[in-house]
Amino acid sequence: MPASPAQLEVRGIGKLFGGLSALEEVSFTAPAGRLLGLIGPNGAGKSTLFNIIAGAFRPSRGAVLLDGRDVTPLGSAGRARMGIGRTFQLATLFHELSAMQNVLQAVLCRAPRRTLAGLLQSEAYRREQQACEARARQVLETLDIDAYWNQRAGGLPLGVRKLLTVAVALATEPRLLLLDEPAAGLSEEEGRRLMARIDATLRGRCTVIVVEHHLKLIQRFCEQVIVLEFGRVIYDGPPAGLKGNTRVVDAYLGHD
Amino acid sequence: MNAARLVVALVLALLPLLTPTYAQHVAIVVLINAAYTVGVYFMLRMGYLTLGHAGYIALGAYTAALVSTRLGWSPWIGIALAPLVAGAAGWGLGSLTMRLRGIYFSLSVFAFGEIVNATFRAVPALGGPAGVAGLPRPAFAGIALESHLAYYYLVLAAALACGTFLYRLQGTRFGFALLTLRTADEERLAQSIGIDTPRYKAWAFAACCAAAGLMGAVHAHYLRFVGPSIFTFLYSTDLVVFAMVGGLGSFAGPLIGAAVLTALGEQLFSVGYYKSLVYAVILIAIILALPGGLLSLPQRLRRAR
Repeated sequence: MPASPAQLEVRGIGKLFGGLSALEEVSFTAPAGRLLGLIGPNGAGKSTLFNIIAGAFRPSRGAVLLDGRDVTPLGSAGRARMGIGRTFQLATLFHELSAMQNVLQAVLCRAPRRTLAGLLQSEAYRREQQACEARARQVLETLDIDAYWNQRAGGLPLGVRKLLTVAVALATEPRLLLLDEPAAGLSEEEGRRLMARIDATLRGRCTVIVVEHHLKLIQRFCEQVIVLEFGRVIYDGPPAGLKGNTRVVDAYLGHD
Repeated sequence: MNAARLVVALVLALLPLLTPTYAQHVAIVVLINAAYTVGVYFMLRMGYLTLGHAGYIALGAYTAALVSTRLGWSPWIGIALAPLVAGAAGWGLGSLTMRLRGIYFSLSVFAFGEIVNATFRAVPALGGPAGVAGLPRPAFAGIALESHLAYYYLVLAAALACGTFLYRLQGTRFGFALLTLRTADEERLAQSIGIDTPRYKAWAFAACCAAAGLMGAVHAHYLRFVGPSIFTFLYSTDLVVFAMVGGLGSFAGPLIGAAVLTALGEQLFSVGYYKSLVYAVILIAIILALPGGLLSLPQRLRRAR
């Protein structure tokens, strides 16, 4: 994968839904190549923040910078082309397409469209197509799910679907990858295996931000953890410091 | 497969030479409807049900009619302009309504079709309720395509152009990307991998409507007449029925559906207005008995044996 990891900077992000404030003033930096965990109680604003970084929502204020470049004006598709990849919480896939075709969709987005050449069925176009298919197969192999290549994505077991969502995101050759609860719905053991696979595949290739509820997974795999509560960052540091931090402990366990 | 293609090509090219005029007329109508249905199928494949396709056909047909009668230009100019007019309208409405899906999208296209029809009916300069009559037949190599047989070959060429265009478009990266727009969730995923979905939808719609416009122009010159009573909502729904009865499993489905039901429909002329009722009954029967459409019939028979 030729792309190099990108640094993400989130600067003073605020988001209002109607009059309701989902994010107050969120700022942090994810250095290039880092595996960063984003945690917080339900309703803390994790998903909103994800959607803002990915371009699905527009922030009410603040900016998102990728390698110092302001990408805030870009929508989802534009940011994907800038190198921001993401997965969705519910293992969203193109359900009617095969596993291979799912990944191929993502690979093809990197290829020039050249619809006219396609209509004329030129030889060069066909060769490009074959190269993309080979690349899609390779991505499936990277995550060790190539055995399912020909099966309808909607019919695959949840664990495989989760990996396939990562494969689809990976096939866009992201420089920053956002993983939204990759282990949700899996057993602890499955979740651990999945995270290990993701870690082994992605380390050094791209910056990763992962939202996860399993604290154990975060502590085991992430080098930096950000804790959100009520739309604010209450902790930004190594996972080792989580336990000793009273605000984090309060946020998670509550206090009288 | 190639042998089958050759047979089909020979039949399409030679059969009209051996058949009476009435059969040639039926063949012409079959080809026209098949070309329209392929466009409807193209949208259905993306997950979008168009209930206003006749509106785009009408735009093409009226373009041809007005260019050749009001302006007195060569019919070929009208035939060339028609796909541009219908395609541009498709792109425009597509850009506006492609955020909608499901029944909301279908209703918006339905409304557009009705507006087109109502406009042509209301504006005398566009023919008014009486429509536009006296369209000339285009001439090819100095010979006006007056006979059914001669016109058949023009219709065949136009149908092949529409069919080949949309079939090949499906096979392009653009056409493949159109399979990512079925649901709101899938569309979000499509955007997250860099597909600019509103633009893709607008262009896909433009392509279907351009094909409809081209055939609409050829259709108009065949009838030598266009009017608001031809390209109605019922025509739009007939096309959807053709596609679904044929089967949505492959490109051949809409062709089979259009051919079978159009040929049958021509025999139902005596029931006139109730033709759509007959189609509806056939559609329900097919949905209940043969969900894959006529396309899946051989497979079904093989399994039954």
